[in-house]
Amino acid sequence: MNNHANNSAFIFNEAIHAQSINELYGNDYVYVQEVFETVLNEYEMLTNNINSCYDSHNIPALKAAVHKIKPIFGFVGMIDMQQQCQQFENICQTTVSFDHLNNDFNLLKNNLVKSKLLIEEEKKKLELFNKQRA
Amino acid sequence: MNLTCIIVEDLQVAANYLMKCCEKSEQVEVRGHFLNVPDALSYLNENTVDLIFLDVEMPGANGFELLDQIAFSPKVILTTSKKEYAYNAFQYNVSDYLMKPFTYQRFIEALQKIRPSRETVSTSNGSDHIYIKADGKLIRLNNDSILYIESMGDYVKFVTNDNKKYITHNTIKNLEEKVSKQHFLKVHRSYIVNLHKIDDMRENILFIKGNEIPVSKANKADVFKRLNIV
Repeated sequence: MNNHANNSAFIFNEAIHAQSINELYGNDYVYVQEVFETVLNEYEMLTNNINSCYDSHNIPALKAAVHKIKPIFGFVGMIDMQQQCQQFENICQTTVSFDHLNNDFNLLKNNLVKSKLLIEEEKKKLELFNKQRA
Repeated sequence: MNLTCIIVEDLQVAANYLMKCCEKSEQVEVRGHFLNVPDALSYLNENTVDLIFLDVEMPGANGFELLDQIAFSPKVILTTSKKEYAYNAFQYNVSDYLMKPFTYQRFIEALQKIRPSRETVSTSNGSDHIYIKADGKLIRLNNDSILYIESMGDYVKFVTNDNKKYITHNTIKNLEEKVSKQHFLKVHRSYIVNLHKIDDMRENILFIKGNEIPVSKANKADVFKRLNIV
């Protein structure tokens, strides 16, 4: 994993794939900050939807809700979370009963909470970085 | 800037990124961003665009339902990661898929797939016949002999008044632009009919020599306009 897009680049947390960020946005860190802010604005609505689908035991809706949040992890370079969402979608597709989803869902739910904290942290760091560069 | 587009996407971060790509390309003018199908449909009932960037899975209605209901045939680039939409995408003449998130380079490649076909679109054909490739030869079909044309996935079927059926590799969308506008009208995403052969119409069904042809909601107004109703 390359966490240094160039010598003056922002240094991302190691859970964020800096190369992906660089491929999407180049060195436009003001825009990267905007992306992180937009993701955080949408995050709660998307995770609430996932939780309510789980609470209602609706597997197809749960799968669709996880599918919907998946790309936002790509926009913030969190490739591992994107893959975990895909894996959970696959499990939803093949599971024979709702009870079999419990462990995987709890793991996903915990990681969704941790991911939000990480995105918030990185957004704060980006704000500071961009202020210093202004 | 010579393509107009709308973005139909309920993820704000994805829509913003698309808008930025369009702006950077200087090839596409974004006329609007819609978070759901009904809002996009309201806009497209009053306006036309060259291109739609379309998410498939959205709350309420999916992207293909939008394509079913609009009265014209813009180019479409899907912004989805689901490969199971491939069959539908082909039927709707989707130009490309963009898997979110995509790079700017990938976005430009998708635009390039649109441009050549825009340049080769022919205007309304005033000829009294067409040639089709079928059974290993070129077959001349007079306009007056064709009852209707039906989509069969990546093929179309020409049905003629002597009850012959000719199957050839083509799409309804392509044929819509190639056949005589005086004779033919697209009445459904899967059907073009010869207006001179319609026997009667009941509700949303046209009858042509015993064949029932569905008329889509989006095309119904066009059908009424073209029928010689007194």
